[in-house]
Amino acid sequence: MLENKEIHISEDEAALYDRQIRLWGLDAQKRLRGSRILVIGMRGLGAEICKNVVLAGVKSVTLMDHTNVEKDDETSQFLVQRTDEGKNRAECSLDRTQQLNPMVHVYKDTESVAAKPDEFFHNFEVVCATCCTTQEMIRINNVCHSRGIKFFAGDVFGYYGYMFADLNDHEYLEEVHHVVSTGYGAKKQKIPDSKMAKRNSRFITLQDVLDFDWASTKGKMLMNKTPETYFISLVLLRFRSEQVLHNAQLTKEEKQKKVLGLKNTVMEEIGISDSIVSDKFVSYCMGELSPVCAILGGVLSQEIIKAVSAKDMPHNNFFFFDGVDGKGLVDCIGTYE
Amino acid sequence: MANVEQREFAGPEEIRAAKLLVVGAGGIGCELLKNLVLTGFRYIEVIDLDTIDVSNLNRQFLFRKQHVGKSKAVVARESVQALNPDAKIIAHHSSIFEKTYGRDFFKKFNVVLNALDNRAARNHVNRMCLNVDVPLVESGTAGYLGQVTVIKKGITECYECQPKATQKTYPGCTIRNTPSEPIHCIVWAKHLFNQLFGEEDPDQDVSPDTADPEAAGDAGQEALASDGVTGGVERSSTREWAKSCDWDPVKLFNKLFRDDIKYLLSMANLWQHRRPPTPLDWGNLPDSVPGSSTSAQDSDLLEDQRMWSAKMCGQMFGRSVNTLKERLKTKVAEDKEHGYLIWDKDDDPSLDFVTAAAGIRSHIFGIAQKTRFDVRSMAGNIIPAIATTNAVIAGLIVMELLKVLCGNYSKCKTVYLVRQPKSKKKLLVPCELVKPNPACPVCSEKHEVTVRLNCETTTVKTLEEKVLKDALTMVAPDVEIEDGKGTILISSEEGETEGNHGKFLKDFGIGHDSRLKCDDFFQDFEVVVNIMQSEDLERGVEFELIGNVAQLKAKMDAKAASGSTPRNGQPNGTAETTSANSDVIVDDEEDIEIEEEEVEEDEMEKDEEEGAGDKMLRKRKAENLEKDLGSKRPRVEPDQSDDDLIVL
Repeated sequence: MLENKEIHISEDEAALYDRQIRLWGLDAQKRLRGSRILVIGMRGLGAEICKNVVLAGVKSVTLMDHTNVEKDDETSQFLVQRTDEGKNRAECSLDRTQQLNPMVHVYKDTESVAAKPDEFFHNFEVVCATCCTTQEMIRINNVCHSRGIKFFAGDVFGYYGYMFADLNDHEYLEEVHHVVSTGYGAKKQKIPDSKMAKRNSRFITLQDVLDFDWASTKGKMLMNKTPETYFISLVLLRFRSEQVLHNAQLTKEEKQKKVLGLKNTVMEEIGISDSIVSDKFVSYCMGELSPVCAILGGVLSQEIIKAVSAKDMPHNNFFFFDGVDGKGLVDCIGTYE
Repeated sequence: MANVEQREFAGPEEIRAAKLLVVGAGGIGCELLKNLVLTGFRYIEVIDLDTIDVSNLNRQFLFRKQHVGKSKAVVARESVQALNPDAKIIAHHSSIFEKTYGRDFFKKFNVVLNALDNRAARNHVNRMCLNVDVPLVESGTAGYLGQVTVIKKGITECYECQPKATQKTYPGCTIRNTPSEPIHCIVWAKHLFNQLFGEEDPDQDVSPDTADPEAAGDAGQEALASDGVTGGVERSSTREWAKSCDWDPVKLFNKLFRDDIKYLLSMANLWQHRRPPTPLDWGNLPDSVPGSSTSAQDSDLLEDQRMWSAKMCGQMFGRSVNTLKERLKTKVAEDKEHGYLIWDKDDDPSLDFVTAAAGIRSHIFGIAQKTRFDVRSMAGNIIPAIATTNAVIAGLIVMELLKVLCGNYSKCKTVYLVRQPKSKKKLLVPCELVKPNPACPVCSEKHEVTVRLNCETTTVKTLEEKVLKDALTMVAPDVEIEDGKGTILISSEEGETEGNHGKFLKDFGIGHDSRLKCDDFFQDFEVVVNIMQSEDLERGVEFELIGNVAQLKAKMDAKAASGSTPRNGQPNGTAETTSANSDVIVDDEEDIEIEEEEVEEDEMEKDEEEGAGDKMLRKRKAENLEKDLGSKRPRVEPDQSDDDLIVL
């Protein structure tokens, strides 16, 4: 990952990417330029991620979604038109995504991720799954993990959102700051300087995270320190698996009631006390709120950029946003160390 | 319990009915407009005076290549309108300082959202919002960092409640005599540009400084006596001299980089503990590149990232001088009085000139040389900017807006985006809003500031331009002396007080403890300026602004305690003062704030601004922070943000 690929940045590209090259350097930009990204799920969060990575200047982005544009997309999906209702999400997002940066190859894939063989994922440096069920995420994550493909997952549930990353064994460069002395005698001066240092960060799979034993000594110790949004996300992922999250047949109240019921089931299953998560969240967890998509999409995209450019310490392994209290937390979940 | 229940967030009706003003359609503005329309807002006015540049396109996603050169506000409106044809979006390609946007304009909005890149405009919008009591959501980004806060009259701090740190300045003698860092050479080269082609400023002298207290000897004088042709003292002005030799590059070069350096060498005290400089001769410039390795590595770099040899610097110096000279002559022919060039980081000859001159000077003093790429950042104060940070901040703005809109101020927060979680896992750090500062010169009942200056040497024009307009960001001030007679010192009406410009403050009986009533009718902003007479301001510093009386008192007490010794050799610019002179490198589009190395333990630092910025950073007292931040406060570490902001 760290070896420099044979990629040339033209002067046109240098002008376009000037402000970010000044931030992360030319080498990082070259690595970005060589990366192929798969984004699964083209709702609000998927749209934000596509926008950010296309603007950053990767090699290619594939938009994947087999579902159709709904009325709800009006409030968060800015890559489709209002007139696209009923048409495929990936198909309809293609044009606007491409317009964001003509130097990036933008592809669509209108098949369901469930229909894709494992080999399909080998074509990418990064796979980012949104709007997937837990089972789908685990499968894709395992394929990626075994091949050293960087895997990300994320979802927005109303005012809440989470991001998960599995970068396997990730090597990266980090700028280390130190002070150098110049001059001599009484006029010796200290000038801040920096150099690049090689670092390493080890990640675990989503399966390992979910297998974490909350009843263990470590688990009991961590239970109260773990962001509430983690447990809320588990409940809402279960809600999605049961295919009711986007079920238009149900009223808001019916959905909320269903979520509350699921909360008790999920908490019991993983063996944590029901009181860890307050019931308040059910009033704030429906739909995809545009500002929450922007916040989560911004953080997640920056993690993708970090991962492919092999520069800077990644967030290992979750980021949570709770729009009700305004907190954005990074936590490492699922390890016993 | 009497309860009208306070809702957490605004509902769909409030969102549909709200009228919003977005000030700025740049990095944050584009993201913000998208979020607002998607969230369901139906009435938005957006104002920006800027036009689209190619370097905006990596993040200002409402713009495309074919839009380069067009109005940001107009194109942003067109792009975002497609998301909801029912929304009413009005674009103003204009400056928020225009008289059209007065009280009546601001009054019609429920909330104003700032997406700005400079402090003057932030101050102005802050004052206008306070005037008409409209809540303001303020924001800024710099590299990976960002922040959002809410300003509501009487409930929270206003934008100007805490004095902002100014840009780092460098002592004149360091720039002129003893540079030790690359930035010293770059600042010197920019001064040289102004001396040769720009607006001449006596504070930007580039010749050896014979009054350097450190030289403290007569070596320089001796040298001058023995060698009449060298030295910077005898010539009337660099410009006059350059003109007399028609900006001959060879003569300029040998004077600046050979003779002046020889003169500096004669000030022997300076070099007792320093590496002495090496004069260079035009005819004999080395062609090797300092610290450069194989040419194979060079091919990996951008053209601008290649280091120039001294010889190459000489060639570029000569070429750019010739181009700039011709431009200057054209300008002077057009307008004799105001015919001068303005340095611009995006203008090739201007950048070549500074890169070359700074490179040669670095070579002379044995300082690490910078490439054209780096010089553009350092001299142009570019704040790097990325889409992801702007997206996060624009999202957070809407989260705060939804609380403001239903009056839920107790839940509004200042939120910081940091680079790595520092305390309690927080990447987004919410902090309680701070109450208004009772001594704030802008939002408190009593608007007073103290200015320390020398009435004997300060002109009325300096007071107006540098103190009132620059430091206090007034637009068109009227100034009356509180001398019992109500003498008008400055009038905003044209033709009334221009005669006073060249006179000194003492000529109007202004001295220690004089009070000047300053009134800006347009901003509806009034402030009393207390004069503190001072003859011991640091060299080259024209005045110091002291935020409020409490700070002034503390300062005077400290002085009394130290036996009222003059502050010799003390570093300039403590946190509470603003020295408004000097090497403030400002680019309207993109400038930067520089953090001091030493940071007080109790302060939380935060930088500002998308792609441009502010020459400010906010320093915030520890007690203002949310309690649960614990003892380890999240601080944007100076070393880290230095990295983000380009080391200066």
